[in-house]
Amino acid sequence: MDARRVELSALQAEIAALRRACEETPAPAENATRGQKSFQEIYQSDSEGWESSKDLRSHLGHLESEILFLSTLTGIKIRNYSKKTKDLTSTEMTEKSIKKVLQRHRLSGNCHMITFQLEFQILEIQNKKSLSSVITDLNIIMEPTEYSELSEFVSRAEERRDLFMFFRSLRFFVEWCEYRKRTFKHFKEKYPEAVHLAEGAASSCMGVRSASQPGFEVVIVWRIQIDDEGKVLPKLDLLTQVPQRVLELDKNRVIETAPLGFRNLLGVLGIEATLESLIKLLCTEEHARSRH
Amino acid sequence: MELADTLRPDGDPKGGVLAHLERLETRMHRSRKKLEEPQTVQAEESALVTEIQKLRRLRDKLRAEVKRRQAGFGLLHILQVKASTANVEPDQTWEITEQEVLERKWENLKAVLQAYRFTGLSGKLTSRGVCVCISTAFEGNLLDSYFMDLIVQKPLRIHRHSVPVFIPLEELSAKYLETNIQHFLFTLCEYLNAYSGRKYQADRLQSDFAAFLAGPLQRNSLCNLLSFTYKVEPRGQSFPLCARLLYKDLTRTLPTDVTVTYQGMDALSTSWEEQRASQENLFRTKPLHHVFTSFARKGEMLDMSLVS
Repeated sequence: MDARRVELSALQAEIAALRRACEETPAPAENATRGQKSFQEIYQSDSEGWESSKDLRSHLGHLESEILFLSTLTGIKIRNYSKKTKDLTSTEMTEKSIKKVLQRHRLSGNCHMITFQLEFQILEIQNKKSLSSVITDLNIIMEPTEYSELSEFVSRAEERRDLFMFFRSLRFFVEWCEYRKRTFKHFKEKYPEAVHLAEGAASSCMGVRSASQPGFEVVIVWRIQIDDEGKVLPKLDLLTQVPQRVLELDKNRVIETAPLGFRNLLGVLGIEATLESLIKLLCTEEHARSRH
Repeated sequence: MELADTLRPDGDPKGGVLAHLERLETRMHRSRKKLEEPQTVQAEESALVTEIQKLRRLRDKLRAEVKRRQAGFGLLHILQVKASTANVEPDQTWEITEQEVLERKWENLKAVLQAYRFTGLSGKLTSRGVCVCISTAFEGNLLDSYFMDLIVQKPLRIHRHSVPVFIPLEELSAKYLETNIQHFLFTLCEYLNAYSGRKYQADRLQSDFAAFLAGPLQRNSLCNLLSFTYKVEPRGQSFPLCARLLYKDLTRTLPTDVTVTYQGMDALSTSWEEQRASQENLFRTKPLHHVFTSFARKGEMLDMSLVS
C-alpha cells in the first residue's frame, strides 16, 4: 500500500516534469516544414499502402530480416543512410539529351567494433550512348581511432575515392583482428603461466616467458597491415628480451637469429603452429629444469 | 477506445496532442480525487492500482512526446497542421502518431537496404537461397556488376552466375564457400574489382592514348597480360619502346612484372638505359593510363616552351 503510494507520487512528479519539458521544447519551425513535406510524401505515395499498423508491422519485419541477412552476409551493419539529389542538367545539355545529376550520400554503421561515417558524392552523366557514374568525393570518419594502421588506409581510400575497397579492406582487417584476438586468447588459456597479454587479447603483442627463467621473455608482435592496394596482410615479428649476461653467453647467436628463424617457421608452419611450438619450446625448458 | 470517451463529451477538440494530454490528466485528477473519499480498503487498493496504471501510460506517452520533440521531428506540429487542414478525426490522433513512427522507421529501413550496394556486395533472398550482386569500381569510376545465385542446401552451391569464365571461381568456391561465405564473397570481390580495374586501364589506353601507340594493344581476356609498342611523344621522332606488362597477382591492378625495351636495340648507352629503367618503373608504380597522361602532359609542357 505504502509502496504504491510512493510510486503514485513519483509518477505524478515525473509527469509534471515531462509536461514542463514538453512545453519548453516546441517543435522548431524549419523541421516542421521539412517534416511536413516528407509526411505528405509518405501519405501521397503510400496512401493505398498502409491499411493498418499491422500491415506496416509485417512489412517492417520483413525489411528487418532482409537487413539482418545482408549484415550477416557482408559483416557490415549499416544503421543510417540518406541521399540528396541535385540536377545539374543545363538547358544546353538537355538539347543534346545529356543528363547530369549530382548525388550526395550519407551513410553510417559499424563493422564489429569499428564504427564509420561516410559522406560521398556521385556524379552521374547520362548521354545517348551510356551512363557514367563517378564518385567525385569521399569522406570517411572512423572510430575507434586506436587502430593506427587504419588512419593511413582511410586517407588513401579517400584520396582514391575507392568506396568498395574501403569496405572490403575494412572487413578483412576486422576479420584478421578477430582471428588474432581468438588466437591470443586460446594460447593464454592453454598456457596461462607462460603466456602474458600485457595489453589484453585485443592488442598486437603477446609475451611468452619461461617461469623458471624470469627476465627471459620473447614478445610476439602481430601487426595487421593494409598495403597500397588495400590488401590486408598480417605481419609477425619476434622480439627477445634477455638479460645482458645471457646474450654474452650466447656463443651460437641463437637469440640474435631467433627473429629470422621465427619468420622462416611462419612460412612453413603457419601462424598457430609456429606460436604453439615457440611456447612449447620455452615451457619444456621449464619442465626440463624442474626435474633437476 | 477509452481515449475517445474524453473527447466526445468535450465536443470541439482543441489543438493537438498537448491538449489531449491535458484532458487525460484532468481525468486522472478527477479519478484521484475520488480516491481520497472514504472507501473500503479493498476498493481503495484496486483504485490505487488502476490509478498507477493510468499514470504509467500517461507518463510513457509524455516521455515519447518529449523525445520526439527533442529529436526535432516536429511531429506535434505536423499533426496539428494535419489535423487542422485535413478531415482527420481527433480521436485518431494517437493511432496516427504510432503509424507515423512506424512509417518513418519503414522509410529508414528501406533506405538502409538500398545503401548496401555501396559496400560493393549486396543481395536479395530468393525462394531457394540468395542472389548476390557484386559491384566493381576503379578510382571512383563505377563499373560492371556481377551476380551470383546461391542455393542454400547442404552443400551450398552456385546455381547461376555472370562471373567471367577466366576468374578462378571454382577454385575460390572449393576453398571458401562452405567454410566461410563472407570470406569467399569478399575474395571474389577482390578478383572482380581487380579485373575491372585492369580492363578499365587497358580500355582507356586504347581509347584515349591511341596516338601514342605504334601498333595494336595486345591483351588477353583476363587483362593480366598486356603487350604494346609506344612512343613517349606521339608526333615526335623519339624511338619506339616495347612494353610487356604481366599482372601475376589477379587481385591487383598494378603489374608484377614489367619489361620495357627499346625496339630493336640490345646494347644501350647509360643515359638510354636510365630512361628505359625509369619507364619500367613508371609502369610498375602507376596505373597504365596515368603513365600516358604524364607523357601527354610532358609533351604539352614542351610545346609550351617551344612557343614561348
